[in-house]
Amino acid sequence: MRGALAPLAVAAVLFAILPMGLSMAGSGYLFRLADVTLIFCILSLSMQLITGVAGLLTLGHAAFYGIGAYTAAILSTRVGLDAGLTIPVAGLVSALFGVLIALPTMRLVSIYFAVATLGLGEMIYVTLLNWVSFTRGPLGIGDIPPLRPFGFDLSSPLGTYFLIAALAVLSLLIVHRIAHSYYGNALRALREDDQCADAMGLPVVRLKIEVFAIATFLAGIAGALWAHTTGYVNPADFRFAESILILAMVVVGGLGSIPGAIVGAALLILLPEALRAIGEVRILAVGLIMFLCILFLPKGLFGEVAALDLVRRQFGAAWRGGSAARPLGWR
Amino acid sequence: MTTTRRSLLAATAMVPFAAQHARAQPRRILIGYQLPLTGEFSQYGERFRNSALMALEAFNRAGRLPVPVEIVFEDTRSDPREAVAVARKFVDNREIVAVLGDFSSSASIQAGRVYAEVGMPQLSQTASHPDFVKISPWQFRNITTQAYEGPRVAEWMRENGVRRVAVVAIQNDWGQSVVSNFAEAFRAGGGEVVATQFFNPGNREFRAILTEIARARPDAIYIGMFYEDGAAFLQQRRQLNIRIPVYATSSLYEPKLVELAGAGAEGIFLSTTFMSTSPEPHVRAFVEEYRRRFGSEPNMFSAQAFDAVNILLEAIVRAWPEVTRARVREELAKTRDFPGVTGVTTFDPETREPAKTLARMRIENGQFVLLR
Repeated sequence: MRGALAPLAVAAVLFAILPMGLSMAGSGYLFRLADVTLIFCILSLSMQLITGVAGLLTLGHAAFYGIGAYTAAILSTRVGLDAGLTIPVAGLVSALFGVLIALPTMRLVSIYFAVATLGLGEMIYVTLLNWVSFTRGPLGIGDIPPLRPFGFDLSSPLGTYFLIAALAVLSLLIVHRIAHSYYGNALRALREDDQCADAMGLPVVRLKIEVFAIATFLAGIAGALWAHTTGYVNPADFRFAESILILAMVVVGGLGSIPGAIVGAALLILLPEALRAIGEVRILAVGLIMFLCILFLPKGLFGEVAALDLVRRQFGAAWRGGSAARPLGWR
Repeated sequence: MTTTRRSLLAATAMVPFAAQHARAQPRRILIGYQLPLTGEFSQYGERFRNSALMALEAFNRAGRLPVPVEIVFEDTRSDPREAVAVARKFVDNREIVAVLGDFSSSASIQAGRVYAEVGMPQLSQTASHPDFVKISPWQFRNITTQAYEGPRVAEWMRENGVRRVAVVAIQNDWGQSVVSNFAEAFRAGGGEVVATQFFNPGNREFRAILTEIARARPDAIYIGMFYEDGAAFLQQRRQLNIRIPVYATSSLYEPKLVELAGAGAEGIFLSTTFMSTSPEPHVRAFVEEYRRRFGSEPNMFSAQAFDAVNILLEAIVRAWPEVTRARVREELAKTRDFPGVTGVTTFDPETREPAKTLARMRIENGQFVLLR
């Protein structure tokens, strides 16, 4: 019973309390902020898997977000594909690119890998910008239909919110099960020392490619959600600065910490809006708050150790076996 | 019991009056203005706000409406996330009857989708993307697009005997429209576009492009870019000693261009809707007041915003006393021969595209000189 309480509380907040509160406020503004926050939660969770758990600093995550958004935009406007299909296909296309990029770069480590992803991310941006006949280049793609998957009209604020929340929870579940399992422990091992992990018999390159594929799949889903809820995509929305924003969410939240990724995303999306009252210095204030966070909490607002402890106590069914051989997570 | 019923009756009887009263006499009229006050485009947002405050104060001082009009400024950084969030915020506020902005076409379109869905008139001072006014009948713009400017420059070149032309433009939505609209009109008039080159935003190295187009031996070069890029382009053209005449889009009309490009800017032809040295009295009054209040020279962007605010205020005056979102939209569509500082402006009621008078200019001895 105790193990079910915390997950139920999360579900209750996301699917009952928050939507009820938002509906009562009757504010499209707050609904939109909730949607964007959840989309960025998916993005920060997926980057957390690569950068926080597997320890590969990626600077090109926005490109996969962009590939997802463009896949959904092109499929829904030119092929007329249903949103119920464009979202998973966007994830798959993004993951395909993720694997293609991972194959040559995964043998690189630390800063070399970061620079490689930076370059590849820029290449994808420049391709979106200059392949005018296919992506309409700088004109962007407009008139992307709102969310009506398989005939269910979810284009209302509440419907859109529920779909995004459901997909965010699904992503959270996937990332949670991966990060807090033996598989996640293997990823952490190669984060700490990949040569040592290799010597212990872990298939380092295969693990990295797999985690990259999963993370880019989730980034693609986030991109498709962005495209359908915003209705217009432009290459400029998926530039380097966006990758840095997602990275900042992960670092401020806490590298390697799953709740940290959520806290980081919520903070960096909601803080600039909450500070509107103070006028033009608000962006400066956001920067200052980020700086202070890193200065005083270098391990993040919700550090990895605290996060693992929380997950182990409240969400970790696999850790509560009680047998002599204490398990270290899901097998 | 009876008192409760009576007061209830009285209350219900009051409701229609109260509603009517509220409709006839709002305490104030609110306009939303979404613009980049921080971030990389903040210099434009700053100009928009200056001009908007100037126009609004003059309007309220003249007392043309019995209630004051107020503008709610919201910073969006012209960022897609914030532009949509602010659009939702404006829509939520039932007092806001119309919205101005955003700055970039991309942010304007993303916000415009929200306004189209809910039914809020939106007037952008700068969104030149061809799809912007096609979103819905609620979108208007106060900037002539390249669909308007391109054919007029093509005609000007033909008058000057240009037969072969090379085009260089920035690789963004606007640059694309510079090339397509000009090339179409120029070819239709019997001319030939011998080279077309795009450069990626942020690139200031034009020597390769210049060499390439000079080889095609055009009679003239048409450049579609902003003044920072334009200054670099013109300087490098001078360094390579390429003496082909240059025609430029109105976006290069900026005193800083001459400052940055120096002698390289000499002899450039360009058209514009706003000219700060214009002898017309209402333009002079605007320029002088702007200079006095903000200590800087107004440019095309300041003028665009000034006219946009005034056009919207005029529409609200015409809609009075029934100032609703739907009525303001109707009245905006009826804008005709508005005497703005960016020329006499008329909105096409169907396409909601503006038509303005274009002035022809040339840079002579470091000065923009009006050609007649």
